[in-house]
Amino acid sequence: MDALLRTLSLPAQILSRVPGLGPLVKVCSTTVGQKILMAISGLSLCGFLVAHLAGNLKLYAGEQSFNDYAHALHSLGPLLAAAEIGLFAMFALHIGLAVSTGALNKVARGKDYFIKETKQGVSILPGGASSWMMVTGLIVLFFLVCHIIDMKLKVGPGVDYTPALNAEKIADNEYQAVKAVLSTPSRAFIYMIGLVALGIHLSHGIRSALQTLGINHKRWNFILHWLCIALAWTLAAGFISLVIWAIGGK
Amino acid sequence: MSNHLLNLNLRVWRQSGPNDGGSFKTYQLSGVSTHMSFLEMLDVLNEQLIAQGEEPVAFDHDCREGICGMCSLMINGQAHGPDNATTTCQLHMRRFNDGDTVTIEPWRASAFPVLRDLVVDRSAFDRIIAAGGFVSVNTGNAPDGNSILVPGVRQEVAMDAAACIGCGACVAACKNASAMLFVSAKVSQLAVLPQGHPERNARVLNMVAQMDKEGFGSCTNTSECEAACPAEVSVSHIARLNREYLRASILAEN
Amino acid sequence: MVRVASDTLNSRVPDGPLQQKWDKHRFDLKLVNPANKRKFTVIVVGTGLAGGSAAASMAELGYNVKAFCFQDSPRRAHSIAAQGGINAAKNYQNDGDSVWRLFYDTLKGGDYRAREANVHRLAQVSTSIIDQCVSQGVPFAREYGGTLANRSFGGAQVSRTFYCRGQTGQQLLLGAYQAMMRQVGTGKVKLFARREMLELIVVDGLARGVVVRNLTTGQLETHTADAVVLCTGGYGNVYYLSTMAKGCNVTAAWRCARKGALFANPCYTQIHPTCIPVSGDYQSKLTLMSESLRNDGRVWVPLAKGDKRSPDQIPDAERDYYLERRYPSFGNLAPRDISSRAAKERCDAGNGVGDSGLAVFLDFRDAIKRDGEDVIRKKYGNLFHMYNKITAEDPYKQPMRIFPAVHYTMGGLWVDYNLMSNVPGLYVLGEANFSDHGANRLGASALMQGLSDGYFVLPYTIGDHLATSKLDKIRDDHPACMQAMQEAQNRINKLIAVQGKRSVDSFHRELGLLLWDKCGMARSRKGLTEAIDRIRGLRDEYWRDVRVLGSGTTLNQSLEKAGRVADFMEFAELLATDALHREESCGGHFREEYQTEEGEAARNDADFSYVGAWEYRGTEQEPVLHKEPLVFENVKPSTRSYK
Repeated sequence: MDALLRTLSLPAQILSRVPGLGPLVKVCSTTVGQKILMAISGLSLCGFLVAHLAGNLKLYAGEQSFNDYAHALHSLGPLLAAAEIGLFAMFALHIGLAVSTGALNKVARGKDYFIKETKQGVSILPGGASSWMMVTGLIVLFFLVCHIIDMKLKVGPGVDYTPALNAEKIADNEYQAVKAVLSTPSRAFIYMIGLVALGIHLSHGIRSALQTLGINHKRWNFILHWLCIALAWTLAAGFISLVIWAIGGK
Repeated sequence: MSNHLLNLNLRVWRQSGPNDGGSFKTYQLSGVSTHMSFLEMLDVLNEQLIAQGEEPVAFDHDCREGICGMCSLMINGQAHGPDNATTTCQLHMRRFNDGDTVTIEPWRASAFPVLRDLVVDRSAFDRIIAAGGFVSVNTGNAPDGNSILVPGVRQEVAMDAAACIGCGACVAACKNASAMLFVSAKVSQLAVLPQGHPERNARVLNMVAQMDKEGFGSCTNTSECEAACPAEVSVSHIARLNREYLRASILAEN
Repeated sequence: MVRVASDTLNSRVPDGPLQQKWDKHRFDLKLVNPANKRKFTVIVVGTGLAGGSAAASMAELGYNVKAFCFQDSPRRAHSIAAQGGINAAKNYQNDGDSVWRLFYDTLKGGDYRAREANVHRLAQVSTSIIDQCVSQGVPFAREYGGTLANRSFGGAQVSRTFYCRGQTGQQLLLGAYQAMMRQVGTGKVKLFARREMLELIVVDGLARGVVVRNLTTGQLETHTADAVVLCTGGYGNVYYLSTMAKGCNVTAAWRCARKGALFANPCYTQIHPTCIPVSGDYQSKLTLMSESLRNDGRVWVPLAKGDKRSPDQIPDAERDYYLERRYPSFGNLAPRDISSRAAKERCDAGNGVGDSGLAVFLDFRDAIKRDGEDVIRKKYGNLFHMYNKITAEDPYKQPMRIFPAVHYTMGGLWVDYNLMSNVPGLYVLGEANFSDHGANRLGASALMQGLSDGYFVLPYTIGDHLATSKLDKIRDDHPACMQAMQEAQNRINKLIAVQGKRSVDSFHRELGLLLWDKCGMARSRKGLTEAIDRIRGLRDEYWRDVRVLGSGTTLNQSLEKAGRVADFMEFAELLATDALHREESCGGHFREEYQTEEGEAARNDADFSYVGAWEYRGTEQEPVLHKEPLVFENVKPSTRSYK
């Protein structure tokens, strides 16, 4: 565990040598700073999800409309690549911090309790969504890898991409590709699980990120709490609806 | 309220010293009055052990009225036992049933090493306060009390935070052994009051740095600390600490 | 051992008009120049209000301070449990308060058994305390507009008590603790937690250090310094059941007494009227319900003896609001000693309530009807919560049951105006000394005294001793250090070697019950004589039959308790002896032989207007009484009346 922590602290050590970055690295390397980075990266990824869902809802508008959108996106060229790199960096940061703070937290507990119970009453998941962040995060990560293989690389094993092929036998009909992937039973299953995990992850993550950024006020907490949960499950439900749509439309 | 007598099965963590591995030991205790406090029940157990020639169970306690923060104990997996807003010394045996098995463990955190049995070392908290949990005003420097106006409602927020008794239940209950509730209570109290403003940047940065140095975990906003806190300190103070930290990170002049 | 030469003690109270004494004295005191302060080291034992504030203030001045406490953190000191508030003559309420009135109330409240000059100084610096604490960030209650709020308190007719909900002691202590921890951070204060003082080191007649036991490792440690400041609180736990924290003890003070420091007025013990009654023989401590509750609660018992009806079934006409009846002008706010005795009188007469008949009602029905439950909850919510936790009864719905309990001890080591004991270099602050409260302490005055001593008195007076004494450097292997260390070690060995059959607690309970019966709220010659006899017997039995398991070289809580109870066994005899010798009733000391026809205390100013300071001459020898006459130049002692 200590070796892991040492390895994970390497980037910070290297960055701190870069002139002018010292204070930034210092404030980011405390447990509070790390959680703030975690929150910022998490909320950024959430922003991506909102945009992604908004785009994907074009599926409901029909083949032409969706493909136009996809085409417009692809024609951004280097901008898209830059955005994707940024997105990847956010993921890497978010996951890296999750692993490093998780390891640190294990060390902080030391010997574990023989019995540990919550005092927060009953919740649907034992211990509440916050106790499942690592598990749901890993499920989402697995789902994400599948998703990239299926949709971006279009080499998902067991997926029949035939309807999406153009004259040169390249799968460039994105609308048909999405339908092909989502209507593959194994994929529908993985995506459903992944998206439910995403919902759980966000149902704690969004509010938690806001709290980490200091957003908490007695007057607004109640409404904020429910807005965050609503956003989390709206995102998850939006994506899930597409899977159901694809299965139904087969 | 009527008095009942309970027979209990106590599973108590015994550890002869900081370097001993420690293990659970089970004791039978009968005739425990429901009017007893939890610590009085342990007193009775210790009297029984002494009579049998076994060394009594060491546990921290002092005021026994819920304010000094010295008592601790993880009781059936819950810091200070099953009640909210309660210290172990205020927990009464009427919360238990005849025949119950009660598991008693010390606070568990790398920053709170076990000294003996149920006694842990919480001096990490003192070092965090020494790092910045104060207002630097030498004796004799103070202006008239009423020259510093603090609106009643602000004052109440400060008092909510200041109510922390420093028992460490937040650390014990947190799945990450994080001390954020403790640290934020002091940061928040002094951030809300005008007296604390001159040092607010240095205070939060130094206290957080010391908290990390002591080896506490990080906050994942689970709010288990708030539920376990005998003084009902709210996690809203953690949010204020985060704000103070962000602010100080950007604006600190050194 | 330091021997006291004469029978009368010099209090070193400066001359001049009362109002100018402290100013004049501060000018007359020798100063230590700033560069030299860092050459001196001062030991502070105990980190409550007095110790914490003294350690912080002296470190701020530049002295090196070593601070010791037996708890795991200095923030646990029992000052933290004070609920109600702290007095100060600010007159913020424009209700006629003044330094003189606070002085007068405190002196009168103490039944004219305190030193005028000390009490006046206390009233003078009280205002600075509030300012200092506010600056530290102590969250005193405020009005909506932001000014400081006050409430009234027992024994006073003005509102001069500053408070932080029901946790004033906690907040003031944390203020002092934080000030001290700031100095720990700078390195000026070295903190030694989980250390218990076992011996005082006296070299050439001067207090120069302490032997402490590291409670974690069992190691004995020697610490030397240029002066020793004792802030170790009161001895109320000699009664076993009290509102003190379990760890409170007389050991540090008694060890000093054994080295020659005089112990003054040990019989002045305060029995607080509003505590939760005893519920069983397993009871380990009593819980205080703040006196501030009497601002809104009304105290009563049923008119009929043995009336077992539930309180809401008893109509007003069949209730006896005995405080309002007996003391119409102060009513439920009568001072503590008077309220306690009145409760005992009603219970002795058979009108007590509850299973044991040893309780009276404190009823909020009328206040809730008048102000609404929310107002009452805001004022006393945490106290009501605490009561509910302990008794499982809801004080919003039914009256609290309360009974008096040992709460504070006005007696303590004798000190002069500089707060120095008769052992030069040994200063005693806060509850551990005897100085300011006379025979009875008014509510919200203990916090005031602890902080006054630590923040505003000792920092001035200690310089005089340091500047004028010959203080050669002494090393840990000095014969006096070695001897003190050996004495402490021998005692530990002796306690463990007894290997008897009875636990320490069983002895402590027996001693406590004996004192409560014979030397509690009411005392008599016959009872005290018997008590002294039985204490001696119990002490012999203790050293024959106590069972302390484990060793002296580990964390051993039985051993800690055993040492403290051993000292209580010796001290209890002195307490009873003092009570026996004081043939009058005053404040917390009530002798049945000396009362008026109405059952009020009958003070005897002609024969007993003095401080009784006792010199220890050996456990089996009679202590020697030294007297400090009390001179009242400004206030003529009158019969205290709260009618």
